[in-house]
Amino acid sequence: MTRAAGTFDSGLWRSVGRLLRLRLLIAVSGFRHAKARQKAGLVILAVFVLAILALAYFLSTVLLRFLRSPELARVTGDLTTLLESVPVILVAIAFLIVLLTSFGMLLQGLYLAGDMDFLMSAPVPRRAVFIAKLLQAILPTFALICLFALPVLYGLGTATQYTWLYYPLVPVLLAAMALAAAGVSSLLVMIVVRLFPARRVAEVLGLVVGLSMLVFSQSGQFAQMFSPTPEQMGSAARLLAALDTPWSPLAWAGRGLVAIGEGRWASGAMQVALSLGMAALVFGVTLTIAERLYYRGWASMQDQRRKRGAPRKRRSALSLPLAARGAPSPVRAIMLKDARVLRRDLRNLSQLITPLILGVVYALALVRSGGTPPAGRGEAPAWFMESFERLLELGNVAIALFVGYSLVGRLAGIGFSQEGKSYWLLKAAPIRAIDLVTAKFWIAYLPALALGWGFVLLLAIVQATSPATAWFAFPVVALCLAGATGISLAFGITGAKMDWEDPRQMQGTRSGCLGMLAAGVYLMMALGLFQAPALGAGALGLPAWSGQLIGLVVGGAFSLACALVPLRLTIGRVPRLGEG
Amino acid sequence: MPDTPLIQVQHLVKHFGDKVAVDDVSLTVNGGEIFGFLGPNGAGKTTTIKMIVGLLQPTSGTVLVDAHDIQTQPLPAKAASGYVPDEPNLYAKLTARELLRFVGDLYGVERQQTERRLTELLRLFDLTQAGDDPIDSYSHGMRQKTSMAAALVHDPRVLVLDEPTVGLDPKSARLVKDILRQMAERGRAVFLSTHILEIAERMCDRIGIINRGRLVATGTMAELRSLGKGESSLEDIFLGLTGGAEYAELAEVLR
Repeated sequence: MTRAAGTFDSGLWRSVGRLLRLRLLIAVSGFRHAKARQKAGLVILAVFVLAILALAYFLSTVLLRFLRSPELARVTGDLTTLLESVPVILVAIAFLIVLLTSFGMLLQGLYLAGDMDFLMSAPVPRRAVFIAKLLQAILPTFALICLFALPVLYGLGTATQYTWLYYPLVPVLLAAMALAAAGVSSLLVMIVVRLFPARRVAEVLGLVVGLSMLVFSQSGQFAQMFSPTPEQMGSAARLLAALDTPWSPLAWAGRGLVAIGEGRWASGAMQVALSLGMAALVFGVTLTIAERLYYRGWASMQDQRRKRGAPRKRRSALSLPLAARGAPSPVRAIMLKDARVLRRDLRNLSQLITPLILGVVYALALVRSGGTPPAGRGEAPAWFMESFERLLELGNVAIALFVGYSLVGRLAGIGFSQEGKSYWLLKAAPIRAIDLVTAKFWIAYLPALALGWGFVLLLAIVQATSPATAWFAFPVVALCLAGATGISLAFGITGAKMDWEDPRQMQGTRSGCLGMLAAGVYLMMALGLFQAPALGAGALGLPAWSGQLIGLVVGGAFSLACALVPLRLTIGRVPRLGEG
Repeated sequence: MPDTPLIQVQHLVKHFGDKVAVDDVSLTVNGGEIFGFLGPNGAGKTTTIKMIVGLLQPTSGTVLVDAHDIQTQPLPAKAASGYVPDEPNLYAKLTARELLRFVGDLYGVERQQTERRLTELLRLFDLTQAGDDPIDSYSHGMRQKTSMAAALVHDPRVLVLDEPTVGLDPKSARLVKDILRQMAERGRAVFLSTHILEIAERMCDRIGIINRGRLVATGTMAELRSLGKGESSLEDIFLGLTGGAEYAELAEVLR
């Protein structure tokens, strides 16, 4: 030992620097030890990001110059006020994004990260740990915000010929706003964790984030369905404009930037100073309060066992569907276990209910469309119109398959990976690989089948589909989904990861994407094989049932082959899973 | 069943890339015997254990559990053994009761027998009250005890434990030792790795010492003493065989 205990430097910022250096060291070490392919990927990504930045800057400059052009102003009126509100809106949006996104990251970083025991017991000021974690939490979001906001703000500066001081102030103010937002977010985290267990909060958050992403991704569908009125669009615009009001602290930074850019030094300096001061105050106050709450929250994490004597809720019994009850004991046991684990982990739930919501959205769209072919001018032959109608009736099957496919992709894709580090229990047990694969097949297939059939039935009732078409849809959905399950499960086996810490890392990106892609292509082919003979029979004037029968034989054989062959090819890997 | 070989490891080798983790290890554990497996960190203990219970495929060599080859006849070999890993990674969202029922079903134990066994085991490990709580609310020691209970649900003929007393309080550690002794008295074979030499010295009928993947010594305490240079304690024998004696000089530097 070259230094006696107690001579360590306890300076706050030096400690923060040390902790951040440690994080940097981990990142650099990770890069050094990465495979050559991953290194190349990262370098390409970095170059790509720089290229995007340059392109965004160029496009922003051109667009903003165009918006300021007198020719356009003659048509649209003066847009100067609108353009001046761009910095205000962007800075305010940056604040709100950091506020929302850093909650989950801070929760993970402060309460659920594996290094907290080490850091809290190290001779490092607690505040330093807190600040370092806070900076780490906002860094990815801040980088993303800069990626989008900087080119636009610098483009605006170039197009408007703002003064030089505008440019360095942009990142400074963005950073100040991000820190203030993170401070508020950290305080929210501390308060929530004092009321609820951190792990449960993380699970609920996962559910909320999953559903929010779904809503955003489907916003186009919703917008199409609910087609907003001009009044609604107007109120949305007014909401955005409300960010740019003189009394709003969020507006001071943006307005100050514009004033400095235009050379209005006094008012600009005042607003920038005000916004920086406000950000520092918010950050300081929230930091102090949150830091006080932090230790207690962290300490309570150490013992979250149920207090002795507290009333215990009986776990509800779970039973398997009739079809699975005749399966061997290990198969049933694994199915029951998986059903329980999936049901109880809210992080899974958001991904599992997504297909249901998507199904409802698309089913509503289909029902609203009426499901009948356009009458046209009456020149089309009868067989064509019949085939067209039959094709539209396919919509029911397509929706049922889409819903089932989404669910199967998730359940079968993670079938093995979800075992994670607990896989040793199955591997050390006297069970055959085929039993394990069978259990995983059923646990993915049965819920998807139930959901798919549910949609078929519901749509058939709502649309009053003919019984001949309705009965045909049930075996088609069942067989198609069996094939999709086999393909997805096979990809799940080849890409199984057992060493994940975060459930989001369960499925390898490559195998997950390829599995979904392969299952999607298969579904289209299978659907074609099931339906083509039925459509062909109509065209040839043969009875519909004959086409359906041929479709069932051809499509069914193809589906069963796709359900079994990929699994047959990959089952040999099962005994070796988890050996790294 | 005593003196019947229940674990037979023959010329076991495991390579991880260029690294030889286990190098030609051969040993036998008979029924009614507790075999202690010792070695420094990274010596190959856990790798050997994982090959014995079928979690890892050996590069070469064979492992017979209850006279069944773990590679070619994995089902009867695994059915005969119970395993307690060094890290109690269990299904966090199941309760201990559900986990034990699940394990009972995996090992083909009749439901009534499973219920009886799990009630006994939960009581034995002082987990009755926590039995309906999800495992993610358990402490490390409670998880370790749950893992131990899971290994005993099917009353295995061979019990393999990797550092079974780590994280246990003295009462639970004593309980584990008593259970292992009872298992041996009932003719079961117990194979355990430990760093606590006192446990190995007091409990184990025979001891194997592994260093850098090679089994450097095996035998009873008396046989190990006769191998050494007059050392009487297991600690001295262990350090003498694994080259730990020189660390005493290094420790001087830290004073």
